[in-house]
Amino acid sequence: MYEIWLMLNIVWESLLAAWLLVLVLLFVFAGLTLAALSRRGAAWRAAWPVALGGAALVGVLSFLALPGLTLSSLGELKYWVDWLALVGLAGGFSLVTAALLWPLTALLKRQPN
Amino acid sequence: MQERKLDEGGPAADLPGCASADLQRRRWLRAVSAAPLVAGMAAPPAKAAMKTNARIVIAGSGLGGIAVASRLMQQLDGASVTIIDARQKHYYQPGFTLVATGVWPVDKVIDPTADFIPAGVKWIPEMVAEFDPAANVVLTSGGQRIAYDYLVVATGLQLDYAQIEGMDVAAIGRNGLASVYASPEAAVATWTALDTFRRKGGQALMTLPSGPLKCAGAPLKMTFMVADRLQQTGTLANSRIDFHTGLPTDTVFGVKVVNDDVLARWKALGIHNHYLSKLVAVDPGARKATFATPEGQRETLGYDFLHVVPPMRAPDVVKKSDLAWKEGGFAPGGWLEVDKGTLQHRRYKNVFGIGDINGTPRGKTAATVKKSAPLVVRNLLQVIAGQEPDARFDGYTSCPLIVREGSAMLIEFDYDGKLTPSLPMIEPLQESYLAWLMKVRMLKPAYVSVLKGRV
Repeated sequence: MYEIWLMLNIVWESLLAAWLLVLVLLFVFAGLTLAALSRRGAAWRAAWPVALGGAALVGVLSFLALPGLTLSSLGELKYWVDWLALVGLAGGFSLVTAALLWPLTALLKRQPN
Repeated sequence: MQERKLDEGGPAADLPGCASADLQRRRWLRAVSAAPLVAGMAAPPAKAAMKTNARIVIAGSGLGGIAVASRLMQQLDGASVTIIDARQKHYYQPGFTLVATGVWPVDKVIDPTADFIPAGVKWIPEMVAEFDPAANVVLTSGGQRIAYDYLVVATGLQLDYAQIEGMDVAAIGRNGLASVYASPEAAVATWTALDTFRRKGGQALMTLPSGPLKCAGAPLKMTFMVADRLQQTGTLANSRIDFHTGLPTDTVFGVKVVNDDVLARWKALGIHNHYLSKLVAVDPGARKATFATPEGQRETLGYDFLHVVPPMRAPDVVKKSDLAWKEGGFAPGGWLEVDKGTLQHRRYKNVFGIGDINGTPRGKTAATVKKSAPLVVRNLLQVIAGQEPDARFDGYTSCPLIVREGSAMLIEFDYDGKLTPSLPMIEPLQESYLAWLMKVRMLKPAYVSVLKGRV
């Protein structure tokens, strides 16, 4: 339990250190979602495959790039805990991508009235 | 001397040199950082604050002092909490090895102290000049006489470079002279020296004194990273790395399994060890270092790169006070005489110690403070309530031991040298990307959470 609490605090402090970027992303997400919700014909269902595809692509790219971006390399992943951590991080980037792409694509694919 | 009333406002809000926009931003960030973590996530279980009008003085504004102050402000109602420390800059010392090896820029290890002083705490920006525990009074460098009911000693320790003849901290960075400990500036200068050295290679002398040391893993990390930087530039083959330690044969670290693992790795890297060999003098201009055995035999060696790890002891203000150990192994260093379990002073029951100053068997790291700050506060609150302190510290400490750029081992252990991984799946002696990632990305956010009294 303590370790979970510690990890949540680490995430919180990390977000706080990048607060401007986090704020911009939140505004973009909120803006896109509100815009898509307020317009008729937003193609939420049709947007799913695009959002998932984009998220998967970003996930794979993150998985490959994150070790290098943190001054390490894939070759330094020595046991399953390392792989799990990297998958978790890449999954986080995927999630953010999906959250942004879904409303954006729903807007772009909306049916004209 | 003037006795300062403890309800006077602290100077945190009107520090010189802070532009108002910057102050506004910092205040906004502080307000946000105090908010619940994320929507829907519960804060730690709230306990009713203990009502008291106790006057609590904390000597020192490092991690230990501020972490204790944060927790006291959360758990006490009506107490007066005062921090005494002149330092305007707070150093994230666990990052010094990263700065000194070219991994981090220096600005990642320096923050204004004012950013971390908890709201409601009085900050006296002076140094403690004298402890008078018999009178429950602290005298400051500015001549103030601060009375207290309870005292937390968190002064940190003294780097005793003066024990090394000819050593000049200002010369770090020139002529191959390096030392990671002295300051962020010294860490930057150490990287300058290492960066120059690695281009050509040559003779590297690494050192480790005997006696209590803060972050005892740092000299080992530096040695691993010197070898790695030489390897990266292709100059390891025409270089020689000698590790001189004042410790006995086959000893470079206090935990045997870790010690043996490190020695095996160094053997593979071709690092040569010299035991009972203490750095006693240096001539930076001539690039000569002199080592001595316990029997007094001296040997002077030339170097292209020398990493100096100074002997460490308690600051004079503690060492010369009645708070220091009077006998036993901690007496020569003047360390604070606390019970290693409760961290309460053994003779002055209204005094507690936290961090590097404690005369305890192990653990002069940020991880030790993380684990012991809640315990010190719990025990202090019990003493305020007239009870006996019941929480006992197991000596937990941790060392993310960098073995090369991109890989580290996450080693956690207790007073007995027993490995105590926080998570069962962590293998302490497994070199790992995750341990590296923790060192370079996750431990500073964790450290800040400790400062804020949340973890």
